[in-house]
Amino acid sequence: MSALDLTLRDQAAAIAAGDADPAQLLEETLARIEQRNPAINAVVETFPERSREMLAAAPSGPLHGVPVVIKDEWPLPWRAQRFGAAEMLAPSAPGESGPYRGLRDAGAVIVGVANMHELGAGSTGNLSVYGPARNPWNTERCPGGSSSGPAAAVAARLVVGAVGADGVGSIRFPAAYCGLTGLKPTFGRLPMAGHHMAAVSSTIVSGPLCADAADARLLASSLAGEPFEAGEPRGIRIGIVRDTVSEDVAPAVREACEQAIEALRAETGGEVVEIELADLEAAALATVIIANTESLGNLSPERLNRLDPGLSPIARGLIKFRLLLPAAASVKSHLVRTLMRRRLVNAFEDVDLIAWPTVPAVAPPLEAPLVELPSGVLTADQANVRGAGLANLTGIPSVSVPVGLSDGLPIGLQLQAAWGRDELLLDAAEALERANGRRWVEALSPLAQPETTEA
Amino acid sequence: MDDPSQADDFVPAGLASLGIEADEIELAVMNAAKGMFWPPIVELLSLDTSGLEPERCPDLSQAPERP
Repeated sequence: MSALDLTLRDQAAAIAAGDADPAQLLEETLARIEQRNPAINAVVETFPERSREMLAAAPSGPLHGVPVVIKDEWPLPWRAQRFGAAEMLAPSAPGESGPYRGLRDAGAVIVGVANMHELGAGSTGNLSVYGPARNPWNTERCPGGSSSGPAAAVAARLVVGAVGADGVGSIRFPAAYCGLTGLKPTFGRLPMAGHHMAAVSSTIVSGPLCADAADARLLASSLAGEPFEAGEPRGIRIGIVRDTVSEDVAPAVREACEQAIEALRAETGGEVVEIELADLEAAALATVIIANTESLGNLSPERLNRLDPGLSPIARGLIKFRLLLPAAASVKSHLVRTLMRRRLVNAFEDVDLIAWPTVPAVAPPLEAPLVELPSGVLTADQANVRGAGLANLTGIPSVSVPVGLSDGLPIGLQLQAAWGRDELLLDAAEALERANGRRWVEALSPLAQPETTEA
Repeated sequence: MDDPSQADDFVPAGLASLGIEADEIELAVMNAAKGMFWPPIVELLSLDTSGLEPERCPDLSQAPERP
């Protein structure tokens, strides 16, 4: 097997043991990107000389010599972020972002910048100044957003680790659509330095997208500069909520998630506990309002009257619409944040995890990102935010883990835990992998099949 | 719900009051956004939070202190 097809941790171990040559791995990775990327548009820029320089200077850290990609949301010393857009509406310049420093100090090699949904403002990835990224499981389907490129890159095994960002589900949506493990850490746990919203955002975090939880743990630890220690979860109390987030869901998604919850319960000798968590729809809306108004400081009517025509009409319209949101809704949203944070404190006295589907349906078509749910047809963005906003609103950690396939497309289960219990999420994700015989984390998208692409 | 004609005016009137220009496509996007977001915004504003003690400068990396 090529080192390209090892896990992130096995690539790192093989390099550390002298069983893999990191220079060769880098060149093979660049060749694979050239070969596979045209079908998915996951990586929007490579810089082989910069990557070789990074490898030459790489310290002997936990990711020494391991190739990774980083979302177009983070500046690099040689490249300003573009945020997937023709213009960002915020200052942007090359520089050392926190995730860049974390990767560099861990010895990783950044081989490319990954695509993303325009301005981070969508859960599908169907809009981008670079053109949409495509889902390696079916290139006519959405890869998820806004971290579309990081997810597609890992699902096609261009690389085995990617760094994204999550302000309203933007790591977990693409992880679910692409069959990956995506961690939205506790607010503030992973570095945000250099992000153009770092000073004002109360929802955005950086985080890893990988094939499985052990890889996500290694990448998160490397970004944080501190270990996310592994533990053995026993007797986990899994909270479920009988609400829209778990019930207005496509039948195949609901069935796979319920089976996964039961498998996790059995694997850990735990229990499933039904809990009350009211006002989840208000919480989702509050998250959207907060996330969309925290950036308004950069906007003025004059500025909005000279938007770059390269922005999509949807982006231009939604940016202008933000200025019409009532101030009272923003104030109310912060009250809902307080309300939900206190409710979660109470909930986490009774349970260790809260579980529901990451997204209510599998990846929709790129051309028409709509999903059919028991309640009717909704836009994917409308449907997806329901289950994702709570973690961003309140600061708790959350992970999406693959738990099945429907019509050849991945299904994701979201696990949420109390503040600072990111490790428990990863422990639970690993327990679930064991319970499933690692079936879903080892499932490869058609584009990642070695025999079909490298024969 | 509002008189539909007034609702139709909300976006262009709001933009005009702020001096923001918009083309037809942008207006269509904003009207769609209003149709999608306004009913839940009205519900949100109606949520009774009168007994809720606000959390001052919340530290989102941690659980809130009990009021």
